[in-house]
Amino acid sequence: MPATDYQGSSVPFASLGRSILSIRRDQVHSMDGHDPSTEQELESFQRRVSDLFADLSSSPDQILSLAWIRKLLEGFLVSLEEFRVILFNHRAAVTRPPLDRMVSDFFERAVKALDLCNAVRDGVGQVCQWNKHVEIVVQSLASWCEVDESGAKKTRPFGEGQLRRGKKTLMDLNFLIMDEKESASASHRNRSFGRSKDPHKSSSSSPSHLSSGVHFRSLSWSVSRTWSAARQLQNIAANLNAPRGHDVTATAGLAMPVYTISTVLVFTMWALVAAVPCQDRGLQIHFSIPRNGFVWSPALLSLHEKIVEESKRKDRRNANGLMKEIYQIEKSSHQLLELLDGVEMPMGEEKENQLKNSVQELENVCEILKGGLEPLERQIREVFHRIVRSRTEGLDSLSHGNE
Amino acid sequence: MEKSERRLIPQKSNSFSFSSHRNKLQRTLSLGFINPNSNEKKTAEFLKNHIKEGHKNKKSENEPNNKNADNAEEANHILKFATLLQEIDLFLATVNDLEQPAEPPPELPEPVISKFLDMVEKVITKYCSGDEPWVPEDDDHPLLATINRVAIINSEIIKHYSNSKYTRIIDRSGSILHRCMVFLEDEFHLLLLEDHNANLCCIIPPPPKETEGNSEKPSLPYTSKIVERLRGIADSMISAGYVTECCQAFATARHNAFRSIISSLGYERSSIDDILRMPWEALEGQIPMWIKSCQHTIKEVIPCERELVEKVFSCNSKFSSDFFQNLAREAIIYHLTFPEAVVMTTQSIEKLFKVLDMYETLKESELLIDSLLLSEGEADDDPSLSYNLDLKSEVKSTRLYLGEAAVAIFCDLERSIKDDSSRSAMPGGAVHPLTRYVMNYLKLVCEYKNTMEHIFKEHYKPAHHNDDAADDNNNPFAAELTKLMDLLNENIEEKSRLYKDVSLSYIFLMNNGGYMGQKIKGSEEISMLLGASWARKRFSELRQYHKNYQRETWTKILACLKDDGLTVKGIVQKTVLKERFKSFNSMFEDIHRTQSAWVVSDEQLKSELKISVSAVLVPAYRSFTGRFEQHLGSGRHREKYIRFSPEDIEKYIEDLFEGTPMSMPRRR
Repeated sequence: MPATDYQGSSVPFASLGRSILSIRRDQVHSMDGHDPSTEQELESFQRRVSDLFADLSSSPDQILSLAWIRKLLEGFLVSLEEFRVILFNHRAAVTRPPLDRMVSDFFERAVKALDLCNAVRDGVGQVCQWNKHVEIVVQSLASWCEVDESGAKKTRPFGEGQLRRGKKTLMDLNFLIMDEKESASASHRNRSFGRSKDPHKSSSSSPSHLSSGVHFRSLSWSVSRTWSAARQLQNIAANLNAPRGHDVTATAGLAMPVYTISTVLVFTMWALVAAVPCQDRGLQIHFSIPRNGFVWSPALLSLHEKIVEESKRKDRRNANGLMKEIYQIEKSSHQLLELLDGVEMPMGEEKENQLKNSVQELENVCEILKGGLEPLERQIREVFHRIVRSRTEGLDSLSHGNE
Repeated sequence: MEKSERRLIPQKSNSFSFSSHRNKLQRTLSLGFINPNSNEKKTAEFLKNHIKEGHKNKKSENEPNNKNADNAEEANHILKFATLLQEIDLFLATVNDLEQPAEPPPELPEPVISKFLDMVEKVITKYCSGDEPWVPEDDDHPLLATINRVAIINSEIIKHYSNSKYTRIIDRSGSILHRCMVFLEDEFHLLLLEDHNANLCCIIPPPPKETEGNSEKPSLPYTSKIVERLRGIADSMISAGYVTECCQAFATARHNAFRSIISSLGYERSSIDDILRMPWEALEGQIPMWIKSCQHTIKEVIPCERELVEKVFSCNSKFSSDFFQNLAREAIIYHLTFPEAVVMTTQSIEKLFKVLDMYETLKESELLIDSLLLSEGEADDDPSLSYNLDLKSEVKSTRLYLGEAAVAIFCDLERSIKDDSSRSAMPGGAVHPLTRYVMNYLKLVCEYKNTMEHIFKEHYKPAHHNDDAADDNNNPFAAELTKLMDLLNENIEEKSRLYKDVSLSYIFLMNNGGYMGQKIKGSEEISMLLGASWARKRFSELRQYHKNYQRETWTKILACLKDDGLTVKGIVQKTVLKERFKSFNSMFEDIHRTQSAWVVSDEQLKSELKISVSAVLVPAYRSFTGRFEQHLGSGRHREKYIRFSPEDIEKYIEDLFEGTPMSMPRRR
């Protein structure tokens, strides 16, 4: 199987770079175009996709969590890989109409996903930055709960300095999150540094103390002012319709996996845009999936509905991203800020406990993000590479399939 | 230096000598720092210098020439501050002298600490209000050293948290430390904005770096004074535990600076969608800008950022390397999208050279990244190693995409040659445009000989595998080139059959072969790649064409000048002789008329042809006329048969192959 073909190489991406020609060389004797087990093969692909969405739906409270997103991407990669094998096994059939058109149509959609991958990677970087601030909040507020020299579990009272530090950081964080919300619409995007060109002039004429988080504001890095994740999503999803009966027969059933992988692609990209901050987010796409047409469609449609519902919730309507952890950061940091606003030293036991709870919540999210964002970024990059690679191979087999 | 030391000694009637105090202080400061990663010795050195400055200032206040009434209050204030500092340092030294943490900890000199904190608060309020900018170089009180003391005091008195009578002072020191840190963060941020590269870039394009000569070291975006100040603040913030704030401020500012530098280099990040829709002419124009940006980033920007972060965060190598890796990753992946998208555009023959340019840029980048990222002896289990390898493989994978595309484009030339089957012959047997195109293209490709050889070794999979193709030459590029040349030859031979006149088809073959030979001779790379035996084979083919031409055109006419059949029993047959002359004349006229319209554009080939024709024809004609003209009588009758003198023949041969049809006058 081509899937195992790139094991044992020290360079993961480079090994993907092997062309279909070389694979063909290795496989040409073991796989002859026509395989009696085609039906089985196609069925197992449908089952694979169905398992993926069943798994993603299994714990509803985990939907849109970082771990869930990573699972989705992993599932997409596996599905894409299997699809690649199917294309390879039927390379002769792929060159004939109408399948050739369907396959190249899929790759056209897939290429549109590449820009989304890049935009979402930038968004992940943004969340990473927010998490640094969460880290400071946790550092300043949690250190008071645990430090002890003899090892005994003692708690110290919150010190005023650390409380102020925590509060300032929460405000910085708040600023950054609000700032992103404001600039999330494309029209506000390309700002430059939020300060005057000559910092010294301004510092001598006005107080140099900058209380909000402008120090941590990132310069916009988008491809262009008019680029829109929402529009890109719509382009990917445009005119994606389930194959009709005669198309299925004309392609010996192969129209089904092409439609399936296209739908998985659209859903994956849609969910990414839903979860992660990026330029001009928007989730309005048309999913015309026959509810009972495929083993996986009920699970996928219900996930779709749940995410749409989530996006319409009052407190999420203006969210930067629906990723569960982003929501938790926003929620806990608001709570904390409110608590700290009304706090008087020394604070009462109840207040202190509330404070500790919020800090604990924030600490949990912080740890999850700290461990998961970087792998997520890499995974998105991997999705990018795999799409490029399978497209090159796919187009190659479309043009040379009969050789 | 010596002077100030000498001045310091007699200045104060303290109960302890300054030098012993200083030793203690040095120890205190070096041990009292919170951050275990900090470069203790350097930090202590830095602080020591600042403390010395403080003493110097205090001394100068006692100098009689500074008795200005306006300054009197301030002088008093400074004096009090200095005394307070010494008391604080004494306390810190005492605390530090304890071998083990005392239980309970020694009493705090609360009034002294409180007064000290009041003083610090005043200073920090003054600076925060913006009334007076902080200029560390003429700092009355070495602010950073003072803030560092606040941090040490803070960490010291926190130990008393269980003693409720200290709650107030603990809170106070904590909040003052926080105010100091907020102030330093602002200062740090403002200093970071003084990036002269970024500021310049907003207005004018950066100066061409090449003109700066061989100064290998990239110049930092800040003056060394600012770098020093940044480092001081970073040290201070990190030792006070504000490491994340400091690192974040730095990372944000430098990432932003990087982004604005990149945008100023002229290469704009485009979406892949846009790149795929762009016409090649537009895309082609972007490629040199991309190359410039990529090279500048890897050669200048990244090393420079690395140097900067290592200087500013000398006390935190973990952050230095994290920051540097993140920036490098951002910078590199940013530059990879473009070639990845270019590879995805429809491939065509004219794209090869730009693809090769990009390939070479990435190849070079890979080497630089190697030396940049893997230079410091990293242990095998260092997670950053896998990180760096990952980044390297990112670049490599994009380079491989480009390489694959280059092979595909180049091999596509095979198809172009095979498919070129125009049905009309080139007039005059001239060099065919296909020959011109292919040879000039190959000549350009061979300017990338080393790169092409490299790429072919990496990627080339001959379509007809298991053939001997792989073994007959271990240079697959040379093999492909030879194959292309053979294909071109075949095609040209095919085209030569379009000529009805066999002689002309040989001229056509000679012309095209000559053109190829000339191009090959003109390019050392092609000659090397095709090899001597290939060239010899081609040369002998050319000679054969030449011979064939001579045979086809001139054998028949030479037969007119032969003695055979001219005499019967020693008597010259006049009618036969007359016939011979008549047919010679008409044949020669014919040849002259047609072949003067033929084209041989290579001067050398042309003169070789003419010389070889003359060398055969003229002596034969001279001798024939010399021997037989007497038999034709004299006068007009003779002239009717001997129309040309040998010199005329020579002259008319000169007219051949010039591409302009000539006719000779019927009569002279």
